[in-house]
Amino acid sequence: MAKVPTLTISPSSKESGKVVHSPPARPLPVSSLPTLTIRRWFLWVGVSFLLAVGALLACLGFGTESIAFSRIWSILGGTILGTESIRVETDSTAVILLQIRLPRVLLAFFVGGSLAMVGVALQALLRNPLADPFIIGISSGAALGAAIALLFGVGLSVWSVSALPVCAFAGALLALLIMYRISSAGHGFSIYTLLLAGVVLNAIFSAFIMFLTSVADPNRAFGMYAWLMGSLTGPDFSTLGVLALYLGIGLIVLATQAQSLNLLTLGEETARSLGVEVERVKKLVFVAAALLTGAVVSFSGIIGFVGLIVPHAVRLVLSADHRLLLPVAGFVGGMFLMLADTVARTVLSPGEFPVGVVTALVGGPVFLYLLTNRNMRVGL
Amino acid sequence: MMDSEPSSSGPAYALREVTFRYATRFHDTSEPVLKDLTCSIDSGKILGILGPNGSGKSTLLKLLARVLRPRDGTIELFGNPLSLLSQADIARRVALVPQETLQIFPFTIAEMVLMGRFPHHRGWGGWHWEDADDWQIAHLAMEDLDVAHLGPGLVTDVSGGERQRAVIARALTQQPQVLLLDEPTAFLDLHHQLDIARILRRLNRERGLTVILVSHDLNLASQYCDRLMLVHHGHIVEGGSPRDVLRPDLLESVYGCQVLVDRHPQSGLPRVSLPV
Repeated sequence: MAKVPTLTISPSSKESGKVVHSPPARPLPVSSLPTLTIRRWFLWVGVSFLLAVGALLACLGFGTESIAFSRIWSILGGTILGTESIRVETDSTAVILLQIRLPRVLLAFFVGGSLAMVGVALQALLRNPLADPFIIGISSGAALGAAIALLFGVGLSVWSVSALPVCAFAGALLALLIMYRISSAGHGFSIYTLLLAGVVLNAIFSAFIMFLTSVADPNRAFGMYAWLMGSLTGPDFSTLGVLALYLGIGLIVLATQAQSLNLLTLGEETARSLGVEVERVKKLVFVAAALLTGAVVSFSGIIGFVGLIVPHAVRLVLSADHRLLLPVAGFVGGMFLMLADTVARTVLSPGEFPVGVVTALVGGPVFLYLLTNRNMRVGL
Repeated sequence: MMDSEPSSSGPAYALREVTFRYATRFHDTSEPVLKDLTCSIDSGKILGILGPNGSGKSTLLKLLARVLRPRDGTIELFGNPLSLLSQADIARRVALVPQETLQIFPFTIAEMVLMGRFPHHRGWGGWHWEDADDWQIAHLAMEDLDVAHLGPGLVTDVSGGERQRAVIARALTQQPQVLLLDEPTAFLDLHHQLDIARILRRLNRERGLTVILVSHDLNLASQYCDRLMLVHHGHIVEGGSPRDVLRPDLLESVYGCQVLVDRHPQSGLPRVSLPV
């Protein structure tokens, strides 16, 4: 064994171990650094919130029977404030608005917002700008979990908690762990490998789902297919309440990790050297992302590309800072899916087609553009 | 916790029988990258870690920042066992400039530099708003590294050298006592190589910053480091002043090729060149 040299030298005259950081030389104008401030945060979160409310009101007006804005206003206002008594039994417009259109538009908002925020979180965690719960197979994993629950009668409720979202959550978590394992195996891992792995993972989960539907009772199987295509039809307010509960938990967990996600985009080792407890953050974000994906998929099936295009658009226009990116992407994602669903249910009115058709037709070309974009290739 | 000031004397780091091997999935019998490393690293000095590719230099640097944890042995930072400190405690004392600084998402340079303030704030997941003091610290670091004018530019748009300097500015924004750098001059042109070396020496002389850098540039290390450590196959082969370490016999046995060592015309320090 080689002798062990030491590098100790006599203590320096200077007091060692203490670093003098010189005091600020002169006051710095606060506005001179182009970064996020509380004012900017409130401004942009406020603007996107108002835009989302505006889009919500607009989407309520469109449909097989269009409803004038003033009418929407009086019905909604009257119901919320209780100033105007509406005889729901006799007023068909109020019935359509409050019991059919409003829950559906709200579901689209919740689902779109959640998918966008999951996209943001996955992109940071996997350091991959093309990550999306649909593309990399997380939604398929959730769908497999949900399909097992639906077809094998696990779909019973335990202590009034439906097993459906829980199974979907488990499936999403499984898929997420597989993807993470793949993306962290080996150095120099490229974004394209992750996409290929996503394709294959999607194929495997789809094979399981097809197997399950083929052995299932045909009536159930048909319902399964309709649900898998992505559908926002027929929620009621109690369903929405349950969904909001799941989403709320997931979103709060994600929101608390916004700053850590910023640092994680630098890479895990660098994030650690900057003081991030990487393992803890990863666990929290994994569970939150799986919870959101599981809840969304179990209520509305597989809807693709929202988690891909919305974060990109927000980063392009506003900021890559997750403290701003997460909430704004949430509102914009909600807005995007509300509008997409309005298109899906009005273009062929009174018929409709799955909202996944619209998101794929918009998101697919955007994805291809990003894939071939010069900036994306650099070093990846 | 390390909220008290570090002891005013003694080494920055003390390593005792540190062993590290990268975990492989199925077996754990791979050759260790570092074997029974024992040494102490003085504070307030510039230490250069030299050695051939794959000798364990970068791994050692990552162990010092606790980006990786040793399999065996202990590392003490100013007398505190590194394993007992939180990641933020360490990040307030030690900053790491990694070799690869690729950035995928369009953060601005200023945003990226400000991330250096993260360990100084506490809160849920580190949620905080940077205040004027944070901005002041970041701005001064950016001026030191000649990247202040790039503040609004995107990290994805600037050149590799500019990004490298911005990353060093981020490390200084952590206000560390120890600065670890992995090949800090690898992507820089001559002018900026000299700039970085001078900045590091100025920070060391004026503020007492301990600098530990890994480099393949033996001549830059010779000129700017107080102490050198030559690492080979996970062992420390030699440690001491540039004159002690940059000896032809030692370099030839470690690098496996003939080298010429003469004196630098200005400083008189060893100068290494390859034979024709």
